[in-house]
Amino acid sequence: MDVFSGLFGVAYLIPLLMVASFVVVGLAGKRLPRLEWGGWVAVGFAGAAMVLGVLIGAGEMLHPGTWTNVQYTWFHLPGNGTGPTPNGVRLVVGTLVDPISALLLVVVTVVGFLVLLYSIGYMHHDRGLPRYYAELSLFLAAMTGVVLANNLLEFFVFWELVGVCSYFLIGFYYEKPSAASAAKEAFLVTRVGDVMFLLGIFLYFSAFATQGPAGTGGWAASGFVFAHGSTPFLAGASANSTTLTVAGIMILGGAAGKSAQFPLHVWLPDAMEGPTTVSALIHAATMVAAGVYLLAVTSVFIGFTSFDDLLIVAIGGFTAFYAATMAVVHPDIKRVIAYSTISQLGYMVLAVGAGFAMVGLFHLFTHAFFKALLFLAAGSVIHAVGTQDLFKMGGLRKPMRLTATAFAIGGLALAGIPPFAGFWSKDDILSAVYSQLGAHPAYWPFFLLAFAGVFLTAYYIFRAWFLAFSGDHPRDPTLPHAHEGPWVMQVPLVVLSAFAVGAGLFVFWPSFQGLLFHGLGAAGIPPTYGVTDLTLSAASVALAGAGILLAWRLWGNGRVFVLAESSPAQPIRRLLLNRYYFKAGYDWVGARGLYTVARAADFFDRYVIDGTVHGFERAFAYTSDRMRRIQSGVVSDYAAYVIAGLVAVFLLLLVVAPYLVARLGGT
Amino acid sequence: MTSLPLVGFLALSGALLAVGVFGILTRRNFILLLIAIEIAMNATILNFVYFGAFSPSPAVTLMGQSIAVVLIGFAATEVAVGLAIVLALNRVRRSINVAEANELRL
Amino acid sequence: MNWEELAFLALAVVALVTGVGALLVRELVHTILWIAVFFVDLSAIYFLLAAPFLGVLQLGVYAGAVTVLLLFGIMVTRKRIFSREAATGIGAVPLALAAVTFIFFVSMVGEFPQGNLPVSGIDPTLLSEGLFGAFGPWLLLLGLVMLGAVAGAIYLVREGRE
Repeated sequence: MDVFSGLFGVAYLIPLLMVASFVVVGLAGKRLPRLEWGGWVAVGFAGAAMVLGVLIGAGEMLHPGTWTNVQYTWFHLPGNGTGPTPNGVRLVVGTLVDPISALLLVVVTVVGFLVLLYSIGYMHHDRGLPRYYAELSLFLAAMTGVVLANNLLEFFVFWELVGVCSYFLIGFYYEKPSAASAAKEAFLVTRVGDVMFLLGIFLYFSAFATQGPAGTGGWAASGFVFAHGSTPFLAGASANSTTLTVAGIMILGGAAGKSAQFPLHVWLPDAMEGPTTVSALIHAATMVAAGVYLLAVTSVFIGFTSFDDLLIVAIGGFTAFYAATMAVVHPDIKRVIAYSTISQLGYMVLAVGAGFAMVGLFHLFTHAFFKALLFLAAGSVIHAVGTQDLFKMGGLRKPMRLTATAFAIGGLALAGIPPFAGFWSKDDILSAVYSQLGAHPAYWPFFLLAFAGVFLTAYYIFRAWFLAFSGDHPRDPTLPHAHEGPWVMQVPLVVLSAFAVGAGLFVFWPSFQGLLFHGLGAAGIPPTYGVTDLTLSAASVALAGAGILLAWRLWGNGRVFVLAESSPAQPIRRLLLNRYYFKAGYDWVGARGLYTVARAADFFDRYVIDGTVHGFERAFAYTSDRMRRIQSGVVSDYAAYVIAGLVAVFLLLLVVAPYLVARLGGT
Repeated sequence: MTSLPLVGFLALSGALLAVGVFGILTRRNFILLLIAIEIAMNATILNFVYFGAFSPSPAVTLMGQSIAVVLIGFAATEVAVGLAIVLALNRVRRSINVAEANELRL
Repeated sequence: MNWEELAFLALAVVALVTGVGALLVRELVHTILWIAVFFVDLSAIYFLLAAPFLGVLQLGVYAGAVTVLLLFGIMVTRKRIFSREAATGIGAVPLALAAVTFIFFVSMVGEFPQGNLPVSGIDPTLLSEGLFGAFGPWLLLLGLVMLGAVAGAIYLVREGRE
């Protein structure tokens, strides 16, 4: 072929570049004359990684459907022809460049680079700057590792690494108790998902250890490696479908943990304790999308059973609506966007569950850009006024024209107004799911929930926009005078705005469409991209327009809509503000349920196990205390014991032995 | 060719061993303790010589006397080490009373 | 009763008396005198049993070297050579243990041939050949033990050691 084929083989350079950045910035960052220099080093590495990532993406578009697998056998246990793994067990590490990973690679490296650049302006007050850049570099290394992993175990390793980086970065302001506890919460909640993911890997391994698509020899021999775009494992597997269903549920659990899907969604809003840039990169554009990516990869390479598909659709559709409702009332600008992230991830999960993995990933692609844009714009606002409370802001449109425009573009993309990016992908999801309703009537309620979510999305994001930017002056007069950030903060806003406008239009570019079509391999239903169902599209655009209109009616021009105390909607508002009491419920379960169990276990440990142990200990201590008194330490006493023993032997020989011989009549 | 009662000799060494044992148990002076040990040791060595001497086989005689020679060497060694212990004890404790050397314990 | 038996009886009585005397006498230096006589007496018994080499060895090692060593030990550890703190009482339990030991030995006597037996000696040349021939390893072992003992003794009495 051409230069690209060589490029696919060295895709591992991208994670390695970011690891190098991590090492350099982590070790040398504090010794550089100025702290930003470490940031510039990281930006340089990320830029190189971005060039590679975009080139790989371009290569995949020019050569649609190529699969380049580079792998190194970590270890191989030869089989003996019998037992559960007759061909032995092999574990490999490697990179698989295929349409899916190329798509994700472009997203991760481009958004990562832009966020790192933006951070130089946003974080420049911070003393922990080298730590920030080192951790962000490590995160990018891990995330590109997840994207490039060619087998599930490697995937899991990088997945955990990503989780650790997320933990570090949420807790970046570790001296703040709320940040520290949010980091712990994120880590623990995703841990639930990760354990399920691991169990899922084990179940799949037991199902596919020897069976799989022709030529792969099963997972035990091939090392968990994804089949090369041929038929999914499930298609050729005669394995027990209960096992596969449970394994699929486990994978879904892992994805739900990482992608903050119901009921493991609680950590993501609290993760906004981290720097806004971290929220933009990790908790909006990339890491949380890893769950969707996992589902997509699993559905393409392994396949889900129909029950799993329904479950995924249910969780996705429900989360899309459920999270949007909470965003409607929240006063914190970052949390509003965080809820919208959960909601949008729900749309992607819905698409994957309905069998359109690539449609979901297309939404992931566009979403990454406009959501990063929204976060970075929100970051600009926070940077300028030093608060996250929407009700204190207002009138920021005039001093921050660029930010206001960027936020508006992001909002329009999120709301799904054509021709902005979000419209094309979200509309594809809705029409794809709609096309399946005939075959799967059970999808109806979740389709309707997702459809209703379109209205809420448009409403809440423009409520935030109006609250922050419209009106004449801030509602809180003590706010500092707002101003735009430095150029490093403006450039990413502009670039991301361009993407938020144009990324959706990529779908009309035949090369890109080829990428999306080939990503699926032989699995699933080939979707149609672009507007397919005009009625449906018109309805969703109308809903979104209605949402924006309502937001303008209630909040536009600096108006503040106050729900009357006597309004029958008050209980609903309280319910939403309290996040459906979900977190409180978890806390209650943790505090009451687990604490009771722990108390019981503690009691058992202390009094039963320790009691037994200490009982023995005391018995021995008592006995030995008695015994040690014969140890006088005087030499002649010991001599006396020796001789007494000798005499005892004498007596045994002279008296006892003859007596026994006489009694027993022995020979 | 002389002839002597084996039984008498055995009774003698038995009695000497008893004397040695008695001394080991009762004496508190380290040097006396060593002397008592030597008495018991000599009683033992005597036995080897008896059985060698009263055996008609020259090989047994040779064996008994050879063992006796080796044992005399061991006994002398033991006295040397014992006296070294006495000197060390005397330096540390200013006394060679066995009852005061009571550190042979935990 | 021939003269050899008489000699044996006398030597046995002297051995017992000197052995007991060495342990019971009140002066430590007198103890050395008694034990010297005891060793010489044993040497005579060896001669009586037609083992002249052993007799000489006993004289040299015990009556000579060990006695002088013991005397030396007393001199070094005593400020006054004549001291009366040597003896202690005669406990009932030690006496009983000693008695049981003796009774055991005596009870074993019945197993052996009674009456007089001929005493057979051995040429010292033969003995030395045996010592450096068949019993060579034992001698070697003795040498090694002695070497270790010398090292240990030097270590124990080294100056400046706490």
